Amino acid sequence: MSAACSVFPFAAGVPAFLDPVSGNGGEADEIPWSKVASLSALPEDGTPTRFGIVRERVTDAWTTLTNVPVGAVYLIKQGEQVKAFNLKCPHLGCAIDHRSDRRDFFCPCHNSSFALDGLVSDDTSPSPRGMDGLETKIEDGFVYVRFQQFRPNLAEQIPLT
Amino acid sequence: MKAVIDWLDDRSGFRALIKEALYEKVPGGARWRYVWGSCLTFAFFAQVVTGTLLWMFYSPSVQTAWESVYFLQYHVWGGWFLRGIHHYMAQAMVVLLVLHLMQVVIDGAYKAPRELNFWFGIALMGVTLGLSLTGYLLPWDQKGYWATAVATNLIAEVPLVGVYLQKLVIGGTEYGHHTVTRFFALHAGVLPGALIALVVGHIYLFRRHGIHAKEPRPKRDSYFWPDQVLKDAVACLAVALAVIVLTIYFHGAPLGPPADPANEFPARPEWYFLFLFQLLKYVPAFWGAIIIPAFVVLLMVAQPFIGKSEKGHRFNIGFLWCLLIGAGALTFLAFSEDRANKKHFAAVEEADWLAKRVVEIADKQGIPPSGAVTLLREDHENRARRLFSSNCASCHLYNGHDGRGFPVDSNQSAPDLAGVASREWLEELLDYDHYVSAKYFGGTAFKDGKMATKVLKKFDEKEKALVPKVAALLSDIAGLPYQKPLSEKDREEGFDVFFDELGCIDCHDIEDEDEGSAPDLTGYGSRDWLTAVVGDPSHERFYGKDNDRMPSFARDEKLTEEEIGILVDWLRSKPSTNSEVR
Repeated sequence: MSAACSVFPFAAGVPAFLDPVSGNGGEADEIPWSKVASLSALPEDGTPTRFGIVRERVTDAWTTLTNVPVGAVYLIKQGEQVKAFNLKCPHLGCAIDHRSDRRDFFCPCHNSSFALDGLVSDDTSPSPRGMDGLETKIEDGFVYVRFQQFRPNLAEQIPLT
Repeated sequence: MKAVIDWLDDRSGFRALIKEALYEKVPGGARWRYVWGSCLTFAFFAQVVTGTLLWMFYSPSVQTAWESVYFLQYHVWGGWFLRGIHHYMAQAMVVLLVLHLMQVVIDGAYKAPRELNFWFGIALMGVTLGLSLTGYLLPWDQKGYWATAVATNLIAEVPLVGVYLQKLVIGGTEYGHHTVTRFFALHAGVLPGALIALVVGHIYLFRRHGIHAKEPRPKRDSYFWPDQVLKDAVACLAVALAVIVLTIYFHGAPLGPPADPANEFPARPEWYFLFLFQLLKYVPAFWGAIIIPAFVVLLMVAQPFIGKSEKGHRFNIGFLWCLLIGAGALTFLAFSEDRANKKHFAAVEEADWLAKRVVEIADKQGIPPSGAVTLLREDHENRARRLFSSNCASCHLYNGHDGRGFPVDSNQSAPDLAGVASREWLEELLDYDHYVSAKYFGGTAFKDGKMATKVLKKFDEKEKALVPKVAALLSDIAGLPYQKPLSEKDREEGFDVFFDELGCIDCHDIEDEDEGSAPDLTGYGSRDWLTAVVGDPSHERFYGKDNDRMPSFARDEKLTEEEIGILVDWLRSKPSTNSEVR
């Protein structure tokens, strides 16, 4: 009976405490297209250019915000197509640098290096997979990206939900 | 296993500690009257645990305090339950405090050598009440905001340092971010810390002197374990159960509308502070908040000395009973005064409505960074009610009240506008007895006007029977969102009555057909028509020089076009509550 007494206040808070893993947030919304840059702003020679992603409307717990920066991407123009990579390293989430002198990507945290096509370019890189590619489309001369995050440090690319 | 326990015991001595804790002697055997201290310890433990869990959801700032509590209450799994347990356990603690104090004094457990421990108890009572007071503000809702403002204004009554003390407590001269952060630090840090320190001292002294057994002793002496522990646990479980029942019955703790310094709310503290609140109606604040409480506390501190003689002991018990009965009577008075006060009742109703409304809007639109209070400030429904109350209700009513639900003091002098332009409203209006009643034009010059005396009064039975057809036509022209449109046939019939059988057209225009001296009914009751009437009733199109006292709200720039639009949309949006919709 004394045990019941001491467990009671903890029990009262268990559901609330576990809320973040309960799936109470409901179905994840479809990932919106973010307008990132004008196509003409990208170098023709395929040099990666870095852009911030700003989402029109983000709800963070009780606050609904407008025009919120949610991350950044590298855009690479390849003919009429555009490739997009999430700036975050798939290893443990540091921001990846573009090294223009070596024409590659390099993560300054744990020294993963990636080729311009996003694949791991050095066998000693700790990253288990290449940079995270993102869906893109071009409309009226503007590049749109479906920006999302993925689970770190797995060979497979699994979206974070 | 035993080896591990032996190893631990060798290094910590925990066996001796447990033995010391459990084999406390209970002279006269275990008794139910000893459970209150354990119940309080249990309640405090529950508050620390649930409070820490609540901490994981709370964000102390003006724009996020209410909002984070709203999120916990309505969007976190079991959040309402957690909050409810903390809320009702706090109330249970106050009740348990009183029971514990009464038991100690009645049993004489406060006398030598336990004076010091009695004083610890008084200090603990003060800290617990401080926790209640600071916790009440944290949700930053109207109730907490306005009630705590009263409490912090009383701090200024403290002699010499009061003004500085008040500034220190609220973190400045006005309520703001620092009020929330300071109250939160007090509630979750300073006061619980003080309480733990005092409880340690309280229990240490209690153990040092042992249980004070009330004579006669019913049984042989026993030990704390297992008899008294069992009784204590049963009592604690009963407390927990009561708190769970309250939480489920009321579906958690209430959360009022977000704090709004621009909109008043009748400040009421938690029920256990109501006696102090009531006292301030009879005595000056300095006496009610400082002198009398200080006198009571001083007298309680002196009780161990007063109680040295049997007479003194009886005085002490009598004094506490008087205190309890006095507080109870004041509480009863406070409740019954509020119950008899229609304005207070309306204010509570409005707050309930606002609380529901803001949750509705927040669920739908999300809360902007400026906080939930802006949602209400921009809500058209809420704005319309307030606009009506402050601009129209001095003459017009709305369902018999001022638009916000408050009773109106002065005599109504113009029509009740709930359900304006609806069939039901028009049918009544076009009945002579209703037309000259206070609900319609009874308070205006139109009571003796042509429409009343020359038209409606003169209607014979046949003409009276035709009135609903005109009412139906006019309300159809109004196109109210809650009424079904007329069939083509009924519309034509309505026009026939309007033009020929009743001859309304002799004075009123309709569909720009003719010129007339009475108000133009073209587009009657529509958004444009109502906007124009409110904007300038003295216009030739409407009452002209016959207009009786109604201001021209747009022409004289009393209201903006937007405000009139909000009012008109609201008037057109709902039927009157005392008529059926057809």
